[in-house]
Amino acid sequence: MSFRTFILGLSASFGVAWLAVIVVPFITMRNLAPIQLSEATDGTTGIFFPKRTGRVADGARVYAENGCYLCHTQVVRPTYAGNDLYRPDWGGLKADPDRGDTRRETNAYDFFGEKFAQIGVSRMGPDLSNLGRRVESNYAAGKDPSIWLFTHLYNPRLDPQLWQSTCPPHHFMFTKRKITGNPSEDAMPFGNADEGTELVPTPEAKALVSYLLSLKKDQAVPAVLNFSPAKAKGSAK
Amino acid sequence: MSSAISTTTEQDALLRAGIDRSLRHPVMFFLTSGAAWLAVSIVLGIISSAKAHAPGFLSCCSWLTYGRVFPAHINAFIYGWGFQAAFAVIIWMMARLSRKECTAAGLILVAGHVWNLGVFLGLVGILSGSSTGMPWMEFPAFAWPVLLASYFAIVIWSFIQFRVRPEGHVYISQWYLLAAIVWFPWIFITANTLLHCLPGHPVMAAGINAWYKSALTFLFFTPVALGTAYYLAPKITGQPVYSYSLAKLGFWSLAVIAPWAGMQKLAGAPIPYFLPYVGAAATVMLFVPTISAAINLLRTAISSPEILASSPSLRFTLAGIGGLILLACSAVVLNLPDSTLPLTQFSLSGYGFEILALYGFFSFVMFGAVYFIVPRVTRREWLSRRLIKIHFLFSVYGIMAVALFAIFGGFEQGIGQEDWQQPWQNAASRAYPYAVGTTIAWCFILFSNIFFFIHLALMWLRLGRRSQHPTLFDAAHGHASSPHGEEGDIDNAGPGYISAH
Repeated sequence: MSFRTFILGLSASFGVAWLAVIVVPFITMRNLAPIQLSEATDGTTGIFFPKRTGRVADGARVYAENGCYLCHTQVVRPTYAGNDLYRPDWGGLKADPDRGDTRRETNAYDFFGEKFAQIGVSRMGPDLSNLGRRVESNYAAGKDPSIWLFTHLYNPRLDPQLWQSTCPPHHFMFTKRKITGNPSEDAMPFGNADEGTELVPTPEAKALVSYLLSLKKDQAVPAVLNFSPAKAKGSAK
Repeated sequence: MSSAISTTTEQDALLRAGIDRSLRHPVMFFLTSGAAWLAVSIVLGIISSAKAHAPGFLSCCSWLTYGRVFPAHINAFIYGWGFQAAFAVIIWMMARLSRKECTAAGLILVAGHVWNLGVFLGLVGILSGSSTGMPWMEFPAFAWPVLLASYFAIVIWSFIQFRVRPEGHVYISQWYLLAAIVWFPWIFITANTLLHCLPGHPVMAAGINAWYKSALTFLFFTPVALGTAYYLAPKITGQPVYSYSLAKLGFWSLAVIAPWAGMQKLAGAPIPYFLPYVGAAATVMLFVPTISAAINLLRTAISSPEILASSPSLRFTLAGIGGLILLACSAVVLNLPDSTLPLTQFSLSGYGFEILALYGFFSFVMFGAVYFIVPRVTRREWLSRRLIKIHFLFSVYGIMAVALFAIFGGFEQGIGQEDWQQPWQNAASRAYPYAVGTTIAWCFILFSNIFFFIHLALMWLRLGRRSQHPTLFDAAHGHASSPHGEEGDIDNAGPGYISAH
């Protein structure tokens, strides 16, 4: 075999796969068409555009920089790929007081505003696709959800229910400082602050908490994306 | 007639000695700094592994948080140790096999320093909180052009050497090395431009990242290690390669199958459905190239059991082939869609599989190469049989423990994860004991590699034994069965040795 044939062989064997699994899907996904909602099936018109509120770009950066993706995923797999959907609060809420069962799998429009979808490496901790929803409705029902998240960041084991958690404490995301004048509005209600000092979150912590609260990927999806139309019909009532 | 033969042998020896001399500093630089990064990576690995079950450990400051130490650990391992070991082996083996002295040692050394600087700054970036958050690509975006440029400056000479070599047979190792040299920049440029420069869909970006991890493992580290093993096994035993057709099958099946693998990590994520399935199928099919190479190498090596017992290089290489067989089996077992893939997709098994590939297979073959190459380029023999033994035993037991704990722990964890009727904590509790075991095993590996690093550094300082007798495991066999040739006929000594003293 000549050198030329050899290099051609290397390039062909690699190049075909490269085109098929990288280049073409990259271009296809990049030009993902917006989904037109139809009056008949979705009950409304316009385009499907899941809104997210919060400091998504900032918070996603903090999430990446501190390696949250190593232990938390952000994907609710369809039932053919895993049992994520059956968990009562991962894909949404099993019994939302207003909307009924909101659980659904992750779709390609859920990562709007992020450069890199933090699908995640392992699940040492739970999936976060609907963390915002879960904190508001379950963990901190009736309380300030951001305080629950700040507490979790400061030390996950402060919550008696999570005493076995192996999530690292992030004390560096908080500053302990002397109170001068009026106490800060951001001061944390925990962290055994001494008399005359207060514990305040850094801008990074605030961005991260805002991002985590924006994780509510359980909106109703258009009929073309819906994997369980029966459920949608049932909850539409 | 006999005088003609002795002239060729002498010329050969002269040529080999010349090649070794021309590459002494680059090779030793890559190996020593690689070993230093390996030690750094293992320390970081112990810290992060301990944090996985004792979250309060060293939680004082931001740069020691788990989410930064773990990426630092894996990136130091890949770019600090893995690549530099590969560079040393590529430039040395390609020069030997192409029978050309290296004329660019200075430039390679400079590029090697730039590479190290890039790795250092990248790690500082990760630890100080500028990680990109993409697994195996966590170095801040400034690092990749630096690494790419120095990569070209290091390996381009090996490519040229191959092109200008005297006409003749192209050996299996050269196929693998050329392939690795060509594939790596293609993979690296693709992943980095698509993730850093051309904005695409975020989920596809995650898919490309998963593909990058797999491609780096199977299209760079694997061919480099297989090329090295195909060099060492026949060279040390003095036997021809068992089967050339099997070698061809192994090579071309790797080339055809491996580029498709990787995206099974995104099974169930919103990317085109065929991608995870193609990835899973390709990863399972990697059994073919890996097992055909492993069988071929084992058949070659076991043809001379007494050399196997005495040669440290061969012992390490074969341990690496053992790791390859385990890797091939776990590639099949871990990636079956609808049965094991949902369990292992987001569990410790992924880490176990990576460590098995990078350490259990690649690094062991690299250690084998180090024990073979260093005496030749420094013209000194290894100081101590015992140090090599410690390195071997602690590494083998340590790495097998890490890989098996992580893979089986991952299965346990995955079963807990899929059991949706139980609370989530159940899955974490199932993984806990395996995480503790992994930390302990890493400590053994650290212990072994500290000795390796000291031994290697002493060799670089040319404090090795001035002897013509290689350091072997089994002293009782004497030197008659030396794997490096007849007594007094060691490449290491070279023809100028006696006259020089």
